[in-house]
Amino acid sequence: MLKKPDHTTSSLSPFLTAVFLLTTAGVAGAQDAPSEETIEFFRRNCVSCHTIGGGALTGPDLKGVAERADEAWLVDFILDPKGVIDSGDPYAAELLRKARGLYMTQVPGMDRTKAEKLVDLIVSESAKERSLFAGLQISDRPLTEIDIERGRGLFMGTVPYENGAPACISCHTASGIGGLGGGRLGPDLTDAYARLEGRKALSAWLGSPPSLVMQPVFKNHALDGEEILAIVAYLKSVSESEGAAEPASVLQFVLLGFGGSALLLLLFDFLWRGRYRATRRPLIRDSKHARIGASS
Amino acid sequence: MDVRSQISLVFHLDKCIGCHTCSVACKNVWTDREGTDYMWWNNVETKPGTGYPTKWEDQDSYKGGWKTDGEDLELRSTGKRKIIPNIFHNPSQPSLDDYYEPWTYDYSELFNAPEGDDQPVARPISMITGEPMEIEAGPNWDDDLGGSEIYAANDTNLEVLSEEQRQQMKAIERMVMFYLPRICNHCLNPACVASCPSGAMYKRGEDGIVLINQDRCRAWRSCISACPYKKTYYNWSTGKSEKCILCFPRLESGEAPACFHSCVGRIRYLGNVLYDADQIKEAALRPDDELVEAQRRMILDPNDPAVIEEASRCGIPEGVVDSAQKSPAYRFAKEWKLGLPLHVEYRTFPMLFYVPPLLPVMSISEGDLVRSDVDELFAEIEKARAPMGYLGKLFAAGNEGKVRYALRKQLAVRVWRRHVTVGDVSLEAATQGLTEADCTPEEADAIFKLTALSTWEDRFVIPPFQREMAMEMIADPHDHRSAAGFGFRDAPRRS
Repeated sequence: MLKKPDHTTSSLSPFLTAVFLLTTAGVAGAQDAPSEETIEFFRRNCVSCHTIGGGALTGPDLKGVAERADEAWLVDFILDPKGVIDSGDPYAAELLRKARGLYMTQVPGMDRTKAEKLVDLIVSESAKERSLFAGLQISDRPLTEIDIERGRGLFMGTVPYENGAPACISCHTASGIGGLGGGRLGPDLTDAYARLEGRKALSAWLGSPPSLVMQPVFKNHALDGEEILAIVAYLKSVSESEGAAEPASVLQFVLLGFGGSALLLLLFDFLWRGRYRATRRPLIRDSKHARIGASS
Repeated sequence: MDVRSQISLVFHLDKCIGCHTCSVACKNVWTDREGTDYMWWNNVETKPGTGYPTKWEDQDSYKGGWKTDGEDLELRSTGKRKIIPNIFHNPSQPSLDDYYEPWTYDYSELFNAPEGDDQPVARPISMITGEPMEIEAGPNWDDDLGGSEIYAANDTNLEVLSEEQRQQMKAIERMVMFYLPRICNHCLNPACVASCPSGAMYKRGEDGIVLINQDRCRAWRSCISACPYKKTYYNWSTGKSEKCILCFPRLESGEAPACFHSCVGRIRYLGNVLYDADQIKEAALRPDDELVEAQRRMILDPNDPAVIEEASRCGIPEGVVDSAQKSPAYRFAKEWKLGLPLHVEYRTFPMLFYVPPLLPVMSISEGDLVRSDVDELFAEIEKARAPMGYLGKLFAAGNEGKVRYALRKQLAVRVWRRHVTVGDVSLEAATQGLTEADCTPEEADAIFKLTALSTWEDRFVIPPFQREMAMEMIADPHDHRSAAGFGFRDAPRRS
């Protein structure tokens, strides 16, 4: 299905429009081989949800995407996915439905030039028999108890990551990790496996986390294939065992907070027990007591 | 020797009638602003009594002044070790209730009351909250032994007396009270200055007046705990602490401070003394009963040529030395040994000296009769109503001998003057009395003159301040020749 760009250049003078189109066409035409930089950018930001010829993950397979929508539209979509989807564009709405309501994230540091280069890269990769981005090579072997145990260790931080990535628990929680639960900065991962519909998409996500917060953190500390598998195994077991993080742990957390503050106050009260309290009122009170005692 | 000049004060308690004119004069001049409404830089207490703020002498709870182990001095309230754990809450400060909640009255209720059978009354309104309030206490709640079962009975100075002595004080013919006017003592070793973490407090070099720089005060309130006399106060409106400034703007223009000038009983004397600042620390380390003597030793004889020469070497202007030679404070405190510091055991060396009151027994009850023609009106001071132990605790850190000496000399002067003016006391008896009291007829006449017949010029010997010279130390007047002044000063405010 072809889609006309719905942005207009009517505000520009016809002359300027002509110049603009000529320039962009010229730039696009001059681009023959995609640069290393663009490939690296695609690897970092896109492969967690997209493949080129490797089948749909969270987002659609991008092979031949330029035949399904025109390039200008694609650039606009890449620049502001949520904006285009929310503008009521029918093709974008269909994509959203296919992605089970997950909006494509806005990629940090994206600009028009980069988006155009990405589209060029997708076009050139689509033409290949086997694209660079046909999909992350994650083993298809069955997930074992050992994987789950290792994944749990990685999640909890008791087993370190090979490349020094931070443990999941520092920002995320999941059902069944006990104690006070994990961090609450990122979302609860109890149903992450179900949300991303399985192993392939989740692995892709973990291979190159695209979120604004995770990307810079994991940029130089990528997880390796076995680690990804272990995490996937663990998150799968979690999503199969329980529902959301039990509300009891939240209550426990609050109660512990109150209890802790109360104890601290008692401790302060004890440490500063000799502090000055009042003079005049106790003086009056004690004198009255003494007189009542003397008269009775 | 490090000779310095200090404005020193004498309050003659035998002359104080407890009229509070001084307090009102001070209040009207300095503390009628919002935030200062509860402060009484000058207040008059009744002794025995708990004073203002309540039981201010109880340093176990207020932690004012210095303590010593004989080798070094340490503030009771704070120090390098204590400041960290207490940094957000400077403890041991009187609460507003220990001062009193200041109030005014809604007088419109008097004028607007509808006609009725009852007398309308003005409701008390809190000056802190602006709401109607119940008056529980005032700055002088124990005036004239009011509520003595509570207040006088809890005077901390009574602790030195035996139960029997305390009971005796309640007997009607021995019932005793006297007034104790108090202002900032402008101490030689001020605990408030030592405690200030902002460096906002200072003792003026030229006259020893202790002041708080309102620009530098950061409301730590350390001075309030540290001052054992509780004479620095926190202004809740400006967020700065304030205290008695000894009316230095008046002093600088040659006038006596407001409380001094307004004193009806003419009990107040002011003059500068020269003292040796090098001796302060050593003196402060002396045991309690030697403190009065140690403080007197610090005060130098301004007529001694060696002292005059040393003073000039230390940069004290000639005019200041001249006025020290005429100072009534020097005569009372050092020469005649009549003036005694209040609670010198706090080791701040207060430079306000009190002449202790005589308080003789005025009448004797014999059966149903009360005789007022007591023969022994000028008899032995040991028979006076206020126990010597009590006065000793107040004015000599427990050294009763110092108080006894001052009282005996005052008594001898009275007997001497009785001989001179009335003549019913023989010359021998009067002279013998003087000799026993370590006094001469000349000295007795001088004491009499300064006590009873003194003029304004006798009572207030204000040294030349030479502010124009002091100003030259911090700014060159020539830089400001064409300007209107030396700059602007903003009203202190919370920032």
